[in-house]
Amino acid sequence: MKIAVLVKQVPSSESMLPLSSDQTWIDEGQVSFVMNPPDSFAIEEALLLREKIGEGEVVIVSMGPERVKKTIKEGLAKGADRGIHLEEEGKIETDPLSNSKSFSSVLKEENFDLILTGLQSDDTGMGQTGVLLGELLGMSTATLAMETEVQGDSIRVKRELESGWFQWVKLPLPASISIQSGLNTPRYPSLKGIMGAKRKEIKCVSSAEHRSGAQTQFMEKVFVPQTSKQTEVIEGDADTAVARIIEILKSDIKVL
Amino acid sequence: MHFSIIEKVILAGLTLASLGSFGYEVFRRVAIVNKGTGSFPFDRIPERLFRVFREVFLHEKVIRERPFPGLMHALVFWGFLVFGLVTIDHFAIGFYKPIMSESAHHAYSYIVIPFAILVIFGIVSLAYRRFITRPKALGGMSPTSGLVAVFIVVLMGTYIYGETGLSPLVWKINWWVHSVIILAFMYLIPRSKHLHLVLGPFNIFFRSFSQPDHTPVHIDLEGDEDELDAMLNDLTKLTKNQALDIFSCVECGRCTDVCPANRGGGILDPKHHFIMDLRQPLLDGKDVSVLDQINIEAGWECTTCQACTEVCPVGNHVEKSDEIRRLEVLVEGRVPQEYQKLFTNLQETGNTEGASSSPFADSFPVFTADKEYVLWLGCFARHGLDPNFNKSVENFTKILDVAGVTYGVLAEEQCSGDPANRLGDKLTYTMLREHNLEQLSETKKVVTLCPHCALNLGKEYSQYDQINYTVEHHTQVIGRLIDEGKIKVKMGESGKVTYHDPCNLSRMLDIVDEPRTAIKAASSDFQEMDESGRNTLCCGAGGALWWKKETKGRTHLVRAEQVIESGADTVVTGCNFCFGMMKQGLGPMTPEGREEVIVKDVADIVAENLVYDL
Ligand code: HEM
Ligand code: SF4
Ligand code: SF4
Repeated sequence: MKIAVLVKQVPSSESMLPLSSDQTWIDEGQVSFVMNPPDSFAIEEALLLREKIGEGEVVIVSMGPERVKKTIKEGLAKGADRGIHLEEEGKIETDPLSNSKSFSSVLKEENFDLILTGLQSDDTGMGQTGVLLGELLGMSTATLAMETEVQGDSIRVKRELESGWFQWVKLPLPASISIQSGLNTPRYPSLKGIMGAKRKEIKCVSSAEHRSGAQTQFMEKVFVPQTSKQTEVIEGDADTAVARIIEILKSDIKVL
Repeated sequence: MHFSIIEKVILAGLTLASLGSFGYEVFRRVAIVNKGTGSFPFDRIPERLFRVFREVFLHEKVIRERPFPGLMHALVFWGFLVFGLVTIDHFAIGFYKPIMSESAHHAYSYIVIPFAILVIFGIVSLAYRRFITRPKALGGMSPTSGLVAVFIVVLMGTYIYGETGLSPLVWKINWWVHSVIILAFMYLIPRSKHLHLVLGPFNIFFRSFSQPDHTPVHIDLEGDEDELDAMLNDLTKLTKNQALDIFSCVECGRCTDVCPANRGGGILDPKHHFIMDLRQPLLDGKDVSVLDQINIEAGWECTTCQACTEVCPVGNHVEKSDEIRRLEVLVEGRVPQEYQKLFTNLQETGNTEGASSSPFADSFPVFTADKEYVLWLGCFARHGLDPNFNKSVENFTKILDVAGVTYGVLAEEQCSGDPANRLGDKLTYTMLREHNLEQLSETKKVVTLCPHCALNLGKEYSQYDQINYTVEHHTQVIGRLIDEGKIKVKMGESGKVTYHDPCNLSRMLDIVDEPRTAIKAASSDFQEMDESGRNTLCCGAGGALWWKKETKGRTHLVRAEQVIESGADTVVTGCNFCFGMMKQGLGPMTPEGREEVIVKDVADIVAENLVYDL
């Protein structure tokens, strides 16, 4: 079984996020980047599948500038077999479709049986790349997997639906599946894994090689939500106050 | 008294069998111990001998923790010492002729008989405790213990009976009963916890002077892979000292009795998880690679407080959470999610919180070579793990200012690595340590309010590298400034004041008096808690448990409960983690209608009562 895991590097949740001067993204200079936390569940699921089946290959695939190598290496240290780095200096956060096209151009000849992604990235939370890539490669797709079970040349997936409902679906392989966070307990890179990762191959594909066509979505403006306080002091006796409060609840806040 | 040749042959046969079996069983264990890593220490011999004198001959620890049973045991022990000569003489009679003259024997019996009675009293009390009172700490039924108690009573009985002027036949039967029991006892000793009476004194002699005492893990990522493999392989092995511990344990359960995790309702039971669980695997495997047998869940519960190690009467370094955690982290990569987050923060930003800056740290002067101290803040203060503690740091700098002591903070200070170290992530610890040592390369003196930082920057770093600076805890500096009259403190209005000794300060750094000097200068109504000094009870935050999300037990509330029960109005402590933990614990624990106990750092109570016009 050949499994690719799409992994993204995102600003850590504790990082300060100063806006860039043109306000189209953040100023990355002061940010510390980490592996997108939902993706670590996808890696773990891939490693568990490989362990269960007893053979196969897990490949970490990521896109971004040089710094994402660190995240790929983290996956390799956890036990993945090799990595593919799609180099890209431009802004990749905004455009899942062009990104998926890039991924599909590189992954096409690899013929993966399974592509796993985290449920979404913690930066922009689009949650589309895995599904789009699956479509582009002609794979079956499913989202929000809570449990996976490979059966011959198909995979059974327990999907999370709304309000506590679940659904079991059976997909023919190859398939692209996004993994719900919390379905497993991601491992920590062992010392041996870290040492071993140094010898593992990371294939680099330059932007010119994988990019085709222009971006289809752009970031207009990012801004910090403004909070404002509106205080109204209600004067008068109890009856007037109650009347006014009811009016506010009805017409302003609309909870009555 | 005449012994026939047949009797002598039988006696010789029995003695050989008993001693042979004793020797074989002891040798078997010593051979396993010898496979342990490291070597036994032979430094500071006078100190070690003095310790053996206090802890073995005076039974200091045996008695201190459990006065009545301890004293009863002391009677048995001292009795056995007195009996040494009697026993030699006893067998000499059987084989050849007595070594003591008739009159010497008679005179000595005036000493031995009272001791024999005391031994009987002692062993009956111990047996009563074990079989009738049955405290949980001693564990389940133990037939050997019963047998040994009967043996000892009969030994004493036959001795006294033998001194009462018996007819030759009765005397001889009595003599044989006494002999057979001694030989049977010898047979039993190495096969049971009674091996403690042989190994205990050696174990106490070899015990480390410093706790916690864990083999440092040297990691060189650029190094040779075979070396790394060998190092990882060694992580499952006990050291010689640790292996000796396992065979010396007398199963008394003192370690579990004092364990905060256990007292808080956790599953951790150091007597079993860190000691007894390893005994059979050692014997079965004839090897010391047994550390992977430690219960993992229990290992994560440990606060690394060293209460167990402190209290062990036979000199064991009980705590082994470091060993099991480093295996889990470095070899298995099985790390609870909240700790993975913590490690990532430490690697990415050099602090526990993943913060990119610290406005609080920026509010202090930066260290320059003309200043006396590096004021080491630590993550707790730098990143406001409890923002109330900021005031305590400022109070300390106020004291320094008044005393005219100069200080500055390091701009590039990173976490001392305590959480990574205690959680077994020795790789992250290595990164932080190397960074900090570089920052401190030109430094002479460091002072910090965090005992965890103090321990790591000092004792722990120097296990790995040469350090050229001294580390002091702020309570030491404050205590000295008071003693030297550099600051003056008046008796303040803090009501009834008590002090909570932080484990890292009292047990690990042996700083017990200085905080008290400071508190007593500022309070006339100071009272000790029941568990204080080196016998303090952990607040529950140690061993990086501060960052643990879910705990089954209520480890963190047991100490707060004691503080409330002590009736104090103010509890002073000397550790930021204890400070934060107390604040969290005291709120919900305070009964209706009572004022919440106020938590202060030593720096607070001193600064509030500083007298300026010197
Ligand atoms: C000739 C020497 C000794 C004899 C005959 C002796 C005998 C015994 C016996 C019979 C017990 C009761 C075991 C049970 O109830 O299961 C015991 C327990 C114990 N022994 Fe010894 N022992 C000797 C030396 C030592 C030494 C040198 C130490 C440590 C310094 C020591 C520490 C203890 C402790 C801590 C207990 C557990 C009882 C308690 O909880 O207080 N013993 N010993
Ligand atoms: S170090 Fe403290 S918490 Fe850990 S086992 Fe010992 S007594 Fe218990
Ligand atoms: S380790 Fe020490 S304290 Fe714990 S049961 Fe054994 S002898 Fe007692």
